[in-house]
Amino acid sequence: MTTKYVLKLYVTGQTSSSQKAIKNLENIIKHELRGLYQLKVIDVLKEPRLAEEDKILATPTLTKILPRPIRRIIGDLSDKESVLLGLDLTVE
Amino acid sequence: MEKKLSKIPSGIPGFDEISHGGVPKGRATLVSGASGSGKTVLSVQFLYKGVSDFKENAVFVTFEETPEDISRNIKSFGWNIEKLTREKKWAFVDASPDEGDNVEVGQYDLGGFLARIEYAIEKVGAKRIAIDSVSALFTNFQSSGIIRRELYRIIRRLKELNVTCLMTAERPTEDGGVSRYGVEEFVSDNVVLLHNRLNLRGERERTVEILKFRGSGHDSEEAPLIVSNIGMNMYPRPKPKLCGKGFTEKISTGVEGLDDMFFGGVYRNSTTLVSGASGTGKTVSTLHFVIEGASKKEKSLLIEFEESPDQLCRNASSFGWDLKKYVDEGSLQLIAHYPEDLKSEQYLKIIQDLVLKNSAKRVALDSLSALERIYSEEKFRSFVIGLNAFLKIQNVTSLLTNTTSQLLGLSQITETHLSTVTDNIIILKYVELGGKMRRLLSVLKQRGSMHNKELMEYQIDPKKGLDILGPFKGVENLLSGSARRVEIRFDEEAAETEFLKESSEGRI
Repeated sequence: MTTKYVLKLYVTGQTSSSQKAIKNLENIIKHELRGLYQLKVIDVLKEPRLAEEDKILATPTLTKILPRPIRRIIGDLSDKESVLLGLDLTVE
Repeated sequence: MEKKLSKIPSGIPGFDEISHGGVPKGRATLVSGASGSGKTVLSVQFLYKGVSDFKENAVFVTFEETPEDISRNIKSFGWNIEKLTREKKWAFVDASPDEGDNVEVGQYDLGGFLARIEYAIEKVGAKRIAIDSVSALFTNFQSSGIIRRELYRIIRRLKELNVTCLMTAERPTEDGGVSRYGVEEFVSDNVVLLHNRLNLRGERERTVEILKFRGSGHDSEEAPLIVSNIGMNMYPRPKPKLCGKGFTEKISTGVEGLDDMFFGGVYRNSTTLVSGASGTGKTVSTLHFVIEGASKKEKSLLIEFEESPDQLCRNASSFGWDLKKYVDEGSLQLIAHYPEDLKSEQYLKIIQDLVLKNSAKRVALDSLSALERIYSEEKFRSFVIGLNAFLKIQNVTSLLTNTTSQLLGLSQITETHLSTVTDNIIILKYVELGGKMRRLLSVLKQRGSMHNKELMEYQIDPKKGLDILGPFKGVENLLSGSARRVEIRFDEEAAETEFLKESSEGRI
């Protein structure tokens, strides 16, 4: 039974933490989620309305929508283990 | 050379006086207070009035309550935020708490927050923004260094956008630092404190204090603050400007014999104090005074703290005065109720508003003692001075009554601050003569003119009201015993001396 991860990553333009977060997340996705994911990257500068809807304050913010429960992680995601923990993923 | 700081009207009555102009334009002002001090009401009012009175659209950033809660609570003031939102004059940024904590991994900033603020400002073309409260940012995020830096960045951006910002912050205790987390360090130019203390009588006293406004003046004292059903009001201590017009014209008190004692009546713009024990006719004197005005189409205002409206009207009609007629005509305004409900600061404002609204030329108040009974000496004094100063500036002639106990009478009057603030003083007393109670009236002083110093007998005539019969002639020991009488004369002289001394020193 494959579970699909639905993730949203909010960033602010091209700031260094935004770029780091994208890179770190791609890394995690490649190694840990193995294609079972759906990721949307949202730039708050371009789409502030979405940021308002999801009540985003800090960037970067990674939100795991599925599977439940919803989880939020803020920061450039530089510590892989903490990110996995935050996403309820265990490292095998 | 530093440009003078420009300010915008705050929308909170009283604040613009305390701050010498309002809230600094295009800058961030910090409002810090403990919970319950009124921060949220103040910030909402600042925005709401900004839209309704000054056509400046608003963004409200809320961290504590949801936008729905705020809109609902504010309805009790009669303000409709939903309507403003529909009309695109108001936008919320909802930063109220979500379920769950944030997990922090690595570096972050408040880019999302800033983007949302800018979006909201642009959406409604806002010129005012309130953030309630900034302290929540420190509670919600672990890195205070990041939060400080980002707040600074946001404030700078708001300045670039020329939006005036009010930020609220929490104070953990009344007498601790300015705010939790030291927010004031970087919003340090303009800081306002809201206090919420228990006074000696166990009552809550809220006050406002401007700690600093960079580059501009402001009052340094604390001023009382009240939140009523129409919003927040502040009451700076009135600074009596001694610029009332000089005395020239004399007008009637409504009591013929009394006008004679003043040699033609009391000066327009003067304040007359009628002091006496209960039952001596003080309320009747106020009725004379306002009816005289109303019947000559002079707008008059009667403020009655000792009797209910019904009692007053019955009282008046028993002398043949139809108060209702004058009220319907518009030449008489009447407030009658017991003063326990509101605080003295509210009364001053209510009276001021009524006088201004109706361009009243005569004001009578019965009695000051009803307020003195309830309020601290400080507040009572503030009220009397403030009222007097206001009435002088508005060129209003006033009659104020004061209830004294039978025994103390004159000496009490001359010792109180009331005697320095009033221009004319009338004493009403009971005296015992030949086994009967008689009534005695005396004019103790009239500033700026001579007066009849004789002790007069009067009665309260069912058809005429106060009726001055004539001097107590050929009678000695009017006030129970010769020792007493001498004492009274001495007091009169002392009072006159005091009055002359103060006149020559140029005090009021």
